[in-house]
Amino acid sequence: MWMSIWLAVIGLAAGVVIGLNLPLFLPQFYSKYLGIAILAALDSVFGGIRAAMDDRFDNLVFLSGFVGNALVAALLVFIGDRLGVDLYIAAVVAFGVRLFQNLAMIRRRLIHR
Amino acid sequence: MPLTKGFAISIVALILGLLMAFQFRTHQLPVTVIPTDRAQALTQELKELHKELNALSVEANDLEAKLLKAQKGVEEARAALDNEITKNNMLAGLVPVKGPGVELVLRYAPQDKPSTHLFTLRDEDLLRVVNELRAASAEAIAINDQRIVDITEIRLAGSYINVNLTRIVPPYRIVAIGNPEELRKMLEMPDGVVPTFHDWGIDVELKTVDEIEIPAYQGNLEKRFARPATKGGGA
Repeated sequence: MWMSIWLAVIGLAAGVVIGLNLPLFLPQFYSKYLGIAILAALDSVFGGIRAAMDDRFDNLVFLSGFVGNALVAALLVFIGDRLGVDLYIAAVVAFGVRLFQNLAMIRRRLIHR
Repeated sequence: MPLTKGFAISIVALILGLLMAFQFRTHQLPVTVIPTDRAQALTQELKELHKELNALSVEANDLEAKLLKAQKGVEEARAALDNEITKNNMLAGLVPVKGPGVELVLRYAPQDKPSTHLFTLRDEDLLRVVNELRAASAEAIAINDQRIVDITEIRLAGSYINVNLTRIVPPYRIVAIGNPEELRKMLEMPDGVVPTFHDWGIDVELKTVDEIEIPAYQGNLEKRFARPATKGGGA
């Protein structure tokens, strides 16, 4: 259980370090997509940690959830852009709600250990 | 917990970190990043300008061709003008001319002095000669190398004759370009100028020549009072 948290933290730190040092620049245009992808990744990571705490972590569910959520969210942003409707808000809200739910579960697990 | 599962979490966390760092950097970037709509507008504008450039270069080619044509026209016009000027100069007697004609030399008998001779050649006599030559369609006439033009005077001044305000002295050499035979006949006809001069005892020498050169008029042909009465001056 703790291991999954540590692994997540280590991965996060490594990602940040690599990202800050990569000589790559994303155009501002894609920052919306990137933000949604970050939300999806955050949701997946917290979901994964929570699942690991519940001991029902499944690699396939975890990875398919991460990839699928990110893709659908990106699609929503794209369609919303085309239609002139801020559809990405739906993704933000959904991910945000789930994020807080997951966080709450993790908190409870940690407190009532 | 198996290691693979934790591995998956850390991979996703790594991606998350990467994305966050990217996003962070994208937002940290100064405003040098051009907004998309601006870039699109500029691209559009560039396309328009390219189109305009094409159209303008086509137009430039067209105009260049026209200019070339016009220049050719100018050259032709200049050549025509030069021709016209040369022709007019020739008609006005401003260029030396040559051609077949006659040469008439009038001189007194050697022992005579002009002032004391009984039959002094007067301006009227030379005028008569010129008149006869003109009647025979002479195209260019000169007396002692003084070209006879439309404003030439032949006038007695004291005991000398002035032609083109230049004093000429005997022997008088009158040359004319035209049909040599016609000129000669006109001068030699009975009671014409040559028999008359003969009768006066003046040494007359008349001969036709195949090629004779007549000098240009040296004076000024400019008109101070006369101006063209028709528009464009006429031909």
